[in-house]
Amino acid sequence: MKNVLSKEVVIYFQNFSYSYPTKRNVLIDINLKVYKGEVLGIIGPNGAGKSTFCKSLNGLVPHFYGGTVKGNVIVAGMDTLEHTIAELSTKVGIVFQEPENQLSGLALTVEEEVGFGLSMLGFPRELIKERVKEAIEKVGLKGLERRSPFELSGGQQQRLAIATILAMKPEIMVLDEPTSLLDPIGKYEVFSVLKELIVEGSTIIIAEHEIEELAYLTDRILFLKEGKVISLDEARNVLSEISKLKEAGIDPPSITELTYLLEKELGIKIDKYPIKLSEAVKLYSEVLKIK
Amino acid sequence: MSSIGTSLLRRSVIVKETLIHKSDPRTKFIFFLWISIFAYIFYDYVLTAIFLIGILLLAMMGKILKRVLLSVAVIILPWIAFGVPILSVLFPWNSTLMFKLEIFGWQIPFYYEGFAWGLTWPLRIGVCITSALLFYLTTNPASLIALLFKFKLPFRFIYAFAAATQLIPLLVDEAGTIYQAQLSRGLRTDVGIIKRIWNFLILIIPLTLSSLTKVQIRAIALESRGFSAPVNKTCLYDIKFKNIDYAFFIGMVIFTLILIYIYIIYGFSPIVHLKQYFIAG
Amino acid sequence: MKNTIIKVEDVWFKYNEEVTALKGINLEIKEGEIIALIGQNGGGKTTLAKHLNGLLKPTRGRVIVKNLDTKNTPVHVLTNIVGYVFQNPAHQIFTSKVYDEVAYGPKNQGLSQEDIEKRVKMALEMVGLIGYEDTHPHDLNYGQMKLLTIASIIAMQPEVYVLDEPTSGQDHNGRRAIAELILKLNKEGKTVIVITHDMKFVAQVAERTILMANGEIIGDSTTRDILLNIDLLEKAAIKPPQIVQLCIELKKFGLNFNCLTIDEALKTFSQYIKK
Repeated sequence: MKNVLSKEVVIYFQNFSYSYPTKRNVLIDINLKVYKGEVLGIIGPNGAGKSTFCKSLNGLVPHFYGGTVKGNVIVAGMDTLEHTIAELSTKVGIVFQEPENQLSGLALTVEEEVGFGLSMLGFPRELIKERVKEAIEKVGLKGLERRSPFELSGGQQQRLAIATILAMKPEIMVLDEPTSLLDPIGKYEVFSVLKELIVEGSTIIIAEHEIEELAYLTDRILFLKEGKVISLDEARNVLSEISKLKEAGIDPPSITELTYLLEKELGIKIDKYPIKLSEAVKLYSEVLKIK
Repeated sequence: MSSIGTSLLRRSVIVKETLIHKSDPRTKFIFFLWISIFAYIFYDYVLTAIFLIGILLLAMMGKILKRVLLSVAVIILPWIAFGVPILSVLFPWNSTLMFKLEIFGWQIPFYYEGFAWGLTWPLRIGVCITSALLFYLTTNPASLIALLFKFKLPFRFIYAFAAATQLIPLLVDEAGTIYQAQLSRGLRTDVGIIKRIWNFLILIIPLTLSSLTKVQIRAIALESRGFSAPVNKTCLYDIKFKNIDYAFFIGMVIFTLILIYIYIIYGFSPIVHLKQYFIAG
Repeated sequence: MKNTIIKVEDVWFKYNEEVTALKGINLEIKEGEIIALIGQNGGGKTTLAKHLNGLLKPTRGRVIVKNLDTKNTPVHVLTNIVGYVFQNPAHQIFTSKVYDEVAYGPKNQGLSQEDIEKRVKMALEMVGLIGYEDTHPHDLNYGQMKLLTIASIIAMQPEVYVLDEPTSGQDHNGRRAIAELILKLNKEGKTVIVITHDMKFVAQVAERTILMANGEIIGDSTTRDILLNIDLLEKAAIKPPQIVQLCIELKKFGLNFNCLTIDEALKTFSQYIKK
């Protein structure tokens, strides 16, 4: 796990359970802490509650959807039950799955879209200009400032969404399956931006099906199934529990699964399962050359 | 991806660098209100025509004359062409005879009141339309939004208006995709009226449902970016009055005084001296 | 020897003056093939696919589907041969019962009530949605909705299936269901063309892969040839499945493996070690 010096808790779920008005028990008794500077991945089959978990972080759950809540969620010192979504938006930013449908529709240019959040919060124009410039550079959209957001590719639109959040300088960035509707280049673009942000020490929560990428990005992984926490542990440990993952219908990283199967097939024991390609290359070049 | 619809909507504002384009949208909007009010106050087809020509001259200055003429002609020319002959004969307040025409062996009387009414109203509407077009076609979307902010309209209304212009073309695109998806299931286009109505439903239902989903997604994205924060929203666009605007205002004040003078001295029908004041008609 | 069922002859397609989406496409699709159509968005995959059932007609060149020229054949005739399943189920679903949704296609084909019932039953069985006939489509989860849209095309009994990104937005369970369905259809002799970005999925189901970029076909061969061709994939900015990446890296150590899937690697590696 990354050296999290501060060990400052930025997210605290205390016995949190939630039911939508039309769907019961979407999250059941969630207890966990997330630390400042940590990158937390969230995996689980569809319907496990990943999206609901993400939306609990900025108050969409429960304020937007209604429903019933038990327990509470404390984010950056604020209890989500006692603060409005707008207030929480200064601390938590969410990037959603659909590139086009999360565009405001109000902004005529990329610049204006990036400044959208800040303008909703009433920030002065000069400050907005500065923040927008910074954010656009960070996500690599320089040169596209005057284009219409609707002319961008999916990958560019998702980076635009990230920039809109970055401009608001939240403490926590949440991404709910940000690449699932993108083509390979789009996925690459988004993951590259995330890698940059991680290097800078941002606190990031990311729900994804691209499990092989999560192996690279995350410190810990939260494994949800039917609203419950199945595991919350270092990425390596969660991704190495092959049978648990397959039972829930999740495919582990191919190289990890291969190692597990080889272990079984050959009756040997491998200490640390590789979760990244480089690790697998090292392992297999040794194992296979030894023969 | 860019859709044909989006670019069509954007091309509706003709981007040029004329004085009219440069002037503040507030000026143009006030001008539209001002001249429409005066066109209504005076019941005089020659005077109204003079107003109309004045606006067309401004349109010429703004290099949008063709667009404006086309739009307004399509509406008022047919109106005049049919309205004038019919009303000259059948208007309930007809009393002053102009002439009689022999048609199919009948002597048809043409009266002045109907004629004047048939001419004045389309011209009044023409004044409204041309001045509105002058405003709309020379104001880029950013300035338009800034205008709504300056008028201190509620933010949700401004949002609804601005977002509609950008999002409706996307709907059009999507309707096209839905059409193709249903064609792929054997939707027949070579059918009678009743089937066509049924086909229409088959397109509208998915479109509506898909739109509702999109609206919800957009709503949570907006909320997550502080949409409902109870503060004054920052408008990212700026509009300022320039010299041309002051010139315009001064012009309007002068003309107002002249028109008031004419009204007091010569009444509501200074040039053609119509006797009755038909308000609703 | 398999018969050619679709022939694409020097097809060019322009959406308008500025955008040429297809530049001289030449292609033969044989009965019973499973083909993956891959490439970045904007490369022409969907445009090409829409030519196969006549939704789009070539600006130049021709598309022959079972000896019918798509230019002269109405779409509703072509849809009896080529079924196209769109990516977003919301673009299709308009009824309130699963049964009605699946029955819509056969109804349009002019079948009798009896035949429609048979077709619906068959289609729902194939996708595993038997028992859901009276369910409201919106009560289904996303994966089930996807299967529903495929079922509504299966009910029309086309010979060729075009699936536009069937696994996008789905979890691993959903992907598995789609893979199984494709193999089932293929066993019945159907030709399946899958547009997808999921290289792991391609390795699992497709024998043949066509790679498109900038409106042209830059690779058309067995999946193994395409996915192991690093230069070609790099050109299209595509990463092969992780197992392939592993094998490619292992070549640097003098180990020559050409595995596409986990199962292949398992077999190959364990055999190699046992020796």
